[in-house]
Amino acid sequence: MFKFLINPSRFNKFTDIILKPLFFITSLTLVVGLILVYFSPLDYQQGLTVKIMYVHVPSAWLSLLTYAIMTIYSIIGFVFKIPFGFIINKAIAPIGAVFTLLCLISGSMWGKPMWGTWWVWDARLTSVAILFIIYLVVIFLNQTFESRDLREKIVAIFIIIGSINLPIIKYSVDWWNTLHQPASVSKLSSPSIDLSMLQPLLVMTIAFSMIGIIIAILRIKAEILLRKKHL
Amino acid sequence: MILFKKLILFFKRESKLFYSNIVDLFSNILFFFLSVFVFVFALGTDEYLLKTIGVGVIWSLLLLSSTLNLRKFYESDFENGILTIIHMGGFSLELIVILKIFSHFIFVQIPFLISLPIAGLFFNLPMHDVYILFLTFIIGSLILSCLGSISASMNLLNRTNYSIGSIIVLLFSIPLIIFSVGINNVDNSFNSLINMLFGICLIFLGISPWASAACIKLAIRNK
Repeated sequence: MFKFLINPSRFNKFTDIILKPLFFITSLTLVVGLILVYFSPLDYQQGLTVKIMYVHVPSAWLSLLTYAIMTIYSIIGFVFKIPFGFIINKAIAPIGAVFTLLCLISGSMWGKPMWGTWWVWDARLTSVAILFIIYLVVIFLNQTFESRDLREKIVAIFIIIGSINLPIIKYSVDWWNTLHQPASVSKLSSPSIDLSMLQPLLVMTIAFSMIGIIIAILRIKAEILLRKKHL
Repeated sequence: MILFKKLILFFKRESKLFYSNIVDLFSNILFFFLSVFVFVFALGTDEYLLKTIGVGVIWSLLLLSSTLNLRKFYESDFENGILTIIHMGGFSLELIVILKIFSHFIFVQIPFLISLPIAGLFFNLPMHDVYILFLTFIIGSLILSCLGSISASMNLLNRTNYSIGSIIVLLFSIPLIIFSVGINNVDNSFNSLINMLFGICLIFLGISPWASAACIKLAIRNK
């Protein structure tokens, strides 16, 4: 059933079916999410700037998720010798980079009125910036070597080594005393965020990940076509 | 017993290679001192300022100057086929990588230690700071050798983009520089931070052999 995740032709067939409904659902969730964000209550301390959170948090989650997916696919591609993993690595690295950049920019736009500076040398911020640099190195390595076989495997090794950064980002707010607030949604016992703010956040997260999935599908299809042409 | 003999031969060869181009190492150290001078000229010669930022500056310049000739880590051995010959002689690639890391640590990074007290003199560092700098550099240079092995083996067949190797080393050396400079700045945390440094060192000693060996294997296959 899940063979479309590792088989290019199955993937093409499957995505041909779901792409058009996906466009529809994405635009619907995005519109609904934006409306919910518009009517969501203002924070009593932060005022209007709390609405930056609805862009900042989904892109931060997705930047981490994209890297985790890349790590899993590098392990699959490198250990089980399935080349589809390398296709996905090459296709979704720029998406992760864009999400990370979006997270950094929206965060600093929120930080200027709230903290008073665009940038603080804080553990969470610094580790996300390093994640962005890692994404850039992955993209650069993808353009570097002549032989494709060598290139994609070296990129996979680099991605696996670079995944050390993921737990550091996740736990940076717990390990160090940082200015960045600790996790408030993913606390298992009781999320310390009000339901009226949680609803638009979740809808926006779904919309963002749908956009990411659509771009990823298109990029992966293009990559498969490119490789078929070269073979 | 044969393995032991082979190991001695390996290190003999490494030391011969090292002494044949020792000028390279000296010019590396010279680069380090020149960059210290440039830094001091750029900041001005305020004694108190130099004393406060001295350790951080020395560490970052050491990092930068140790990334200068990282391409030589495997390149000459790879180009003339010595790596393949050693591999055929019964050494696995992982073992070769570990031996290479230790020989780089002994022959390239340890001589760098003589430059540390002199650099500390230029920054008016107290004796205690220089002592701690010594200790952290001994551990940190082993980490730097591991990182250098990873980046050098990744870029064996890279003919176009030369600076990406240095980028990889600098990227993964960020935790190293945080903890090694933090020892001097934070009071009463010597033990915990030096344990963290040891931990990072062990992590990279564990990672780098298989990563470098996989890269070298790919490079040999695609040569």
